[in-house]
Amino acid sequence: MNDEKYIRLDRMRYTKNTTASGLALLSILFDVFFFISIYESNVGSWYYNILIGASILYNLIFLLAAFLSSEGIKNYKIAYSYLMIALGIGQIIRIFIYPVTAHNSTVIIQEKAVTVMENPQFIRCVLYLLLSAACLIVGAVIGMTRSKALKDHLASLKAAA
Amino acid sequence: MAQLNVQHVDKIYDNKVQAVFDFNLDVKDGELIVLVGPSGCGKSTTLRMIAGLEDISAGHLLLDGKDITQTPAKDRDMAMVFQNYALYGHMTIYENMAFSLTLRKENPNVIHKKVLAAAEILGLTSQLNKKPSQLSGGQRQRVAMGRSIVRNPKVFLFDEPLSNLDAKLRGATRREILLLHKRLQATMLYVTHDQTEALTLADRIVCMSMGHVQQVGTPLELYDAPANRFVASFIGLPPMNFFDVTVREGLLEGRGFKVKLTEEEKGILLPYAGKTIELGVRPEDVQEGTEATLNVFSNENLGMNTLIHGHVGDNNRISAKLRGWFDYEVGDNVNVAFTRKHFFDKETGVAIRKGEKA
Repeated sequence: MNDEKYIRLDRMRYTKNTTASGLALLSILFDVFFFISIYESNVGSWYYNILIGASILYNLIFLLAAFLSSEGIKNYKIAYSYLMIALGIGQIIRIFIYPVTAHNSTVIIQEKAVTVMENPQFIRCVLYLLLSAACLIVGAVIGMTRSKALKDHLASLKAAA
Repeated sequence: MAQLNVQHVDKIYDNKVQAVFDFNLDVKDGELIVLVGPSGCGKSTTLRMIAGLEDISAGHLLLDGKDITQTPAKDRDMAMVFQNYALYGHMTIYENMAFSLTLRKENPNVIHKKVLAAAEILGLTSQLNKKPSQLSGGQRQRVAMGRSIVRNPKVFLFDEPLSNLDAKLRGATRREILLLHKRLQATMLYVTHDQTEALTLADRIVCMSMGHVQQVGTPLELYDAPANRFVASFIGLPPMNFFDVTVREGLLEGRGFKVKLTEEEKGILLPYAGKTIELGVRPEDVQEGTEATLNVFSNENLGMNTLIHGHVGDNNRISAKLRGWFDYEVGDNVNVAFTRKHFFDKETGVAIRKGEKA
């Protein structure tokens, strides 16, 4: 192992994994944008069902879990990488729940068929969820790689001592 | 390599109060200079002027021959360690030590090497992941020093760095600073009001009072040959005893006591015959003898020594540090002799030395 690589690894003993942690926080931001964007509709009571309640609840859980992940992964805890992957997959699944179903649904307002979610809103919502998922998965991969590298480095230091 | 020259520096504040008068000092490369004096004597102000934290009202400051009087603090290549550590509470020790280099956008790998090297020197390697609040006062002060070391400055400035520590920790940290100086061979300026720190750390001491430099010299010079009454009273613990005495034929006559002079002392005091001068005697130079009688009013056993406070002659207060363990009672009389004497001009307070005229 060359000197540069060794120092880069050794630095991790004292520095936080801010890249992965920052990506987790960014995913929260995109999730917030998604959640704000979804309500930009005037479609009567279309949203008033059990699914929106579940969605709100999931959103709260997501915010908490993503924040905890950002803190955990900052300290190279590999378990949080797995949680972030799960959350990322969850964000992708969410695309097929609200944006897609709303985009494909119509309601009758004043005897006219109105699409629940028009194209621009649909694209924005999908984009936010995709970006959120991408941040989580990329952050998780970075976290996993660095956590393993640090673990191996610490083991080699221990063996050398 | 760093030589520092302070030339005729004054500090006058906006309200016309002058804190420092004509300060001159040439600091050699690798020298540890201690500025000592009572509170308000201008020592910290002088240090802050050297650091660039205070404007210099008059005079010049030269670093390696280059005039840096008007150079901003950040460009002076000096690092200052403060009394209150000035550490960032939310950062780890590693981050605190790396902070100044991070601001300068140095290569992170270079920063890492420097921080680890400094931590190794200061014995902080195992503390690098902790926050300042998890460390003791001594360790925090070491972190503050580490933050200076990583910058590899030309001059280190210490502003009463041990004042916040308890006595035991102060002693230990003082030894660490001394070792650090020996190891780094760096030019250091150290401000303290504690004369023990000054005597133990300094290559040379600058003793200040009321904004004026009173004496510059090695610790031994200041202790053994104080330039004036102020230095004599400030350096040494317990402080020197002073008596008004009149120079007579072969002796000094005080209020109710007489002290014989040696041939050398007679020579020194020849110009002062018949005049009143001040006799200074350090407590450790008062030992059992036959020159005067000490009437005891307090007896403090210090282990190897006994500190006695009392009177000689007509109510002249005196402290004596006798070698050994004694148990004198209040009112006891002890015969003492002055084994070494210092003489000061009554009017000017300047030390009277060989070859000087009255």
